Amino acid sequence: MAAALVFAHASRPAAQQQASAAQQTAPAQAPPAQTAPNPNGQAAPVAPPVPAYGGLVIVLNPAHGGTDSGARGENGVAEKDFVMQFARAARDELQRQGYHVVMTRDDDSNPSYDDRDAASNIYRDAIFISLHVGSTGTFGDARAYYYQFWTPAPPSAASNATAASANPAATPTFWEDAQRSYTDASRRLADLLAAQLAQSFSGSPSASSAAAVRELRSVTAPAIALEISSMSASNPERLTGLAGPLAIAISRAVEAFRPPNSAGGH
Amino acid sequence: MSRNLKIALGILAVAVLIGLLSLRGLHRRIERLSETQSSEEQARRDVLAPPIFTPTDVTMPAKIFWAAGADKVAPVVVELPLSADPVERSKQVLHALMTGPPTPDQRTIPAGATLLAFYIQPDGTAIADFSDALSSEMPSGILSEQMAVESIARTLASNVATLRRLKILIHGQEAETLAGHVDLTGFFDLNPPAQPHASAPPESPNLRAMVDTAPRLSAN
Repeated sequence: MAAALVFAHASRPAAQQQASAAQQTAPAQAPPAQTAPNPNGQAAPVAPPVPAYGGLVIVLNPAHGGTDSGARGENGVAEKDFVMQFARAARDELQRQGYHVVMTRDDDSNPSYDDRDAASNIYRDAIFISLHVGSTGTFGDARAYYYQFWTPAPPSAASNATAASANPAATPTFWEDAQRSYTDASRRLADLLAAQLAQSFSGSPSASSAAAVRELRSVTAPAIALEISSMSASNPERLTGLAGPLAIAISRAVEAFRPPNSAGGH
Repeated sequence: MSRNLKIALGILAVAVLIGLLSLRGLHRRIERLSETQSSEEQARRDVLAPPIFTPTDVTMPAKIFWAAGADKVAPVVVELPLSADPVERSKQVLHALMTGPPTPDQRTIPAGATLLAFYIQPDGTAIADFSDALSSEMPSGILSEQMAVESIARTLASNVATLRRLKILIHGQEAETLAGHVDLTGFFDLNPPAQPHASAPPESPNLRAMVDTAPRLSAN
């Protein structure tokens, strides 16, 4: 499933491109990319550790971090802190269910979008779930999103996507278009999560939505984003109480989605 | 009650009275300041984003996509003077989108945002350059950012048939995201030539167009 990515994003810094290229051309079961914050709060790739994992991996992405606080609420509370609570609760629940879970950050660092995606792309069989808190909407509303490509695939990318389904190991995938081949799977996963969210969080839509959520674009796996409302609610500290139900909804959606080739990972 | 205590209580009562009077005055001053700021904002908008009139303007219905509830955009039919020139026409409908939501709740673009420039390349690619406020004043979140992009793209697609795709810039620069979530590095398809019956961008399940039932507003 993890195709080699030979075209780096043109706008990325050269050092980051080199680092990503090294991660992207690594074998499918290479160890996960690790990031560490530099003095500027930006994540800098460091040498990956040795352990590898070949089964299904759930990659949880607490959005924002570091100097990027995300949405702000009353008393200065920040989205980055709530999504970390949600991610840790989801990790604990998923691990309790027997899943192998990694997080794109587990501290107050802020890896780049591409580093977050790369942390997922080195796994052969992964599910990427990004966590957000919005600043609009009714308190407790939760929505699931999959990536929306607004433009059709360029001919080369389209042919690559077709070929990739036949022979994923030998076909290059464009970094900017990496999620395109997984749109259907991502939508299915997002729909499953939306259905769970609608049961647990009254007022939430029971179907997923398409949106061009940046960190989903270059993931070579089913990838979705979850956004719960809202940082603009009065007493946003109440969001903490939603971590448990959210974790259960995520766990149930993953369980319902579990891809056919994930048997070794669970 | 001792004399000193009486004096202290008297001073305290006077202080409370002065405080209450000051609060009323302060409240009035805050209200005046708010009104002044609103006037200044209107004046600034009049200078930066005045209504656009061209010699070829013809008043006709335009579909402007504003928020319709917490998670939808839907067209409202507005009678607008529209130019025959695609660039000017695009500016006119975007101006209406940004300045004329029927109610504050229908606003999808921050009030402080302005359109700095608008170009159309020979291949039908539209480039819309917005001020920093589009990003800095945007409520952070996937939902709010997606609704903003949808409202811009659908308003252009519905009113300027020659546009093929859209690139959104912030203050002349390509932005990675609108306000931390929605991807702005690519192009948004508006009226793809190969799919004349699918002229609008791919539609989110919760962003169904409601063209037939669109309410109508008088010209603004």
